[in-house]
Amino acid sequence: MFKKLMTILTLTCTLFAYDATVEIVKKMDRLPRIIFQDASMSNVEQNFRVKFHKILAGDLRVSAHFEVVDDYLQSSYEGNLQENFMNDFKSDLILRYQLSFEYDGSILAKVKLINTKDGQASFEKNYKISVQNRYPFLAHKIAVDVNNEIGAPSIKWMEQFVIFSKYTSSKQSEIVISDYTLSFQKTVVKGGLNVFPKWANKEQNIFYYTSYNNAEPTLYRVHVNTGKREKIISAKGMLVCSDVSADGTKLLLTMAPKDQADIFVYNLQTKTLEKITQYSGIDVNGNFIDGDKRIVFVSDRLGYPNIFAQNIGSSSVEQMVYHGRNNNSCSALDNYIVYSSREGDSEFGSKTFNLYLISTQTDYIRQLTATGKNLYPRFANDKETILFIKEFENQSALGIIRLNANKSYHFPLKVGKIQSIDW
Amino acid sequence: MNKIALTGLAVAMLILSGCSQKNPEVDMQQQQQQVSTADKKAADISGMDANNMDSGDVQSAVAKKIAGLEEKSSVIYFDFDKYNIRPDMQAKIDANAALFNTTEAKDLSIKVEGNCDEWGTDEYNYALGLKRAKSVKDSLVTLGVSAERVMLVSYGESNPVCSEKTKECWDKNRRADFKLLP
Repeated sequence: MFKKLMTILTLTCTLFAYDATVEIVKKMDRLPRIIFQDASMSNVEQNFRVKFHKILAGDLRVSAHFEVVDDYLQSSYEGNLQENFMNDFKSDLILRYQLSFEYDGSILAKVKLINTKDGQASFEKNYKISVQNRYPFLAHKIAVDVNNEIGAPSIKWMEQFVIFSKYTSSKQSEIVISDYTLSFQKTVVKGGLNVFPKWANKEQNIFYYTSYNNAEPTLYRVHVNTGKREKIISAKGMLVCSDVSADGTKLLLTMAPKDQADIFVYNLQTKTLEKITQYSGIDVNGNFIDGDKRIVFVSDRLGYPNIFAQNIGSSSVEQMVYHGRNNNSCSALDNYIVYSSREGDSEFGSKTFNLYLISTQTDYIRQLTATGKNLYPRFANDKETILFIKEFENQSALGIIRLNANKSYHFPLKVGKIQSIDW
Repeated sequence: MNKIALTGLAVAMLILSGCSQKNPEVDMQQQQQQVSTADKKAADISGMDANNMDSGDVQSAVAKKIAGLEEKSSVIYFDFDKYNIRPDMQAKIDANAALFNTTEAKDLSIKVEGNCDEWGTDEYNYALGLKRAKSVKDSLVTLGVSAERVMLVSYGESNPVCSEKTKECWDKNRRADFKLLP
């Protein structure tokens, strides 16, 4: 009897393991314990060493594939008997790196991953980044490669650029390109109200954004390589590009040509607009799903904001979420929808906005956050990672949720308030 | 990766340094040489033309009138997450409609700006702000203001008049403002 019960339990757990909506509470396998050794050249100053170590260790912690030892240790790059085993730390792996600043402003990094069982390097690689302030991407690249080396699921999303708009004062906002930790930030559009940036392609070398600095809100496309800016369309009232089709030829726009916010598909090749939603209230935040033939979106058609889906070319609307009384933002990837839901009876309750994950194929709902205002969720391509805006204690931050590990992290913005994000 | 980072910086530099094209340079010397004596004379007396009187004063008079009218208009406030006109705001709508239909204002266009508090996701808030502006427009039209005169814009939560984290402050930010345009 006990054996049968165990078999059923094991089978159930195995089946559930493929559903991201189910929280994995306990991991059976022990994570490899890793320590870091800084073997940098003498021309690398101490505060830079500390910052680099912090990002690299943070990356492997956020990966959730390592047990990270935070101690900052220094060593020679070649190593010796003591440095190659580090018995006191009982670690499985040593990540040793040597940074050096070059004449041309670039940074070189030599990296090796040492197995403490035999003191031998299982991985060794050289890296270069041409400008010093881009060092967070150097750390992320090393983390991605080390993670691949142990055969863990990819964390390549760490190399993605995040693009976000931040309010700096009334009717003033800037568009910034950053890494996921906000350690690297570069303002690319400033002056006036510039909102809702959206990457136009997977290569992340073109983006869209809405400018409120003309007579009407105007959507622009900016080519990152050349700085060329093209006007796409302008509209009365409001204009947001909420999604781009997989092939990059169609945009989902929220527009109000007749004073009424609806979702439209804009074909960039034919320059034509197709109205998708017809409701006389609020329809916003369209996301392509099912091979770009269908959209999920937010609508107040039930008297409160909630998540719905509709085939493009059809007027039939399907309610996707049966939980919460104010679900005002969503993102979709394959069969999963993540959405933000306001909780409590009023805006003054202890709970505010939390993120939830649902599968369109099951009835499960998984709560992803518990405190603060958690808004604007966006899936990474790997379906295991969600980027979102977190507001807590009057501070605005980028949040990261690692679904399989059931962990979340946030990276505060020092100045300004994050308006919208994409990656 | 290096390439992507490099291109990121490249665009930053390019955009910050200005994406718009340079203004075409005009060869003033050449233009002046082509002006005939008679044209030059006419240009000298153009300041006396009644249709071309001190435009600065004309503009400031209109601007002064607009500022005065905008000051007399009442801000319309909304309940949390709502865009219907509250009963206590109806009298203010009535007064605004009467103001906008006066002889002094009837030639001006009216821009209704919808605004929200900081709660919620900003895309929804832009739409909510627009619905608030639309509710105000519909009410004004019902009271005899021509629909053609009224244009709408939503600023979502980007245009707060109060930045404290209090209920009173959020109440002030859920509003529709009026701007008059020549």
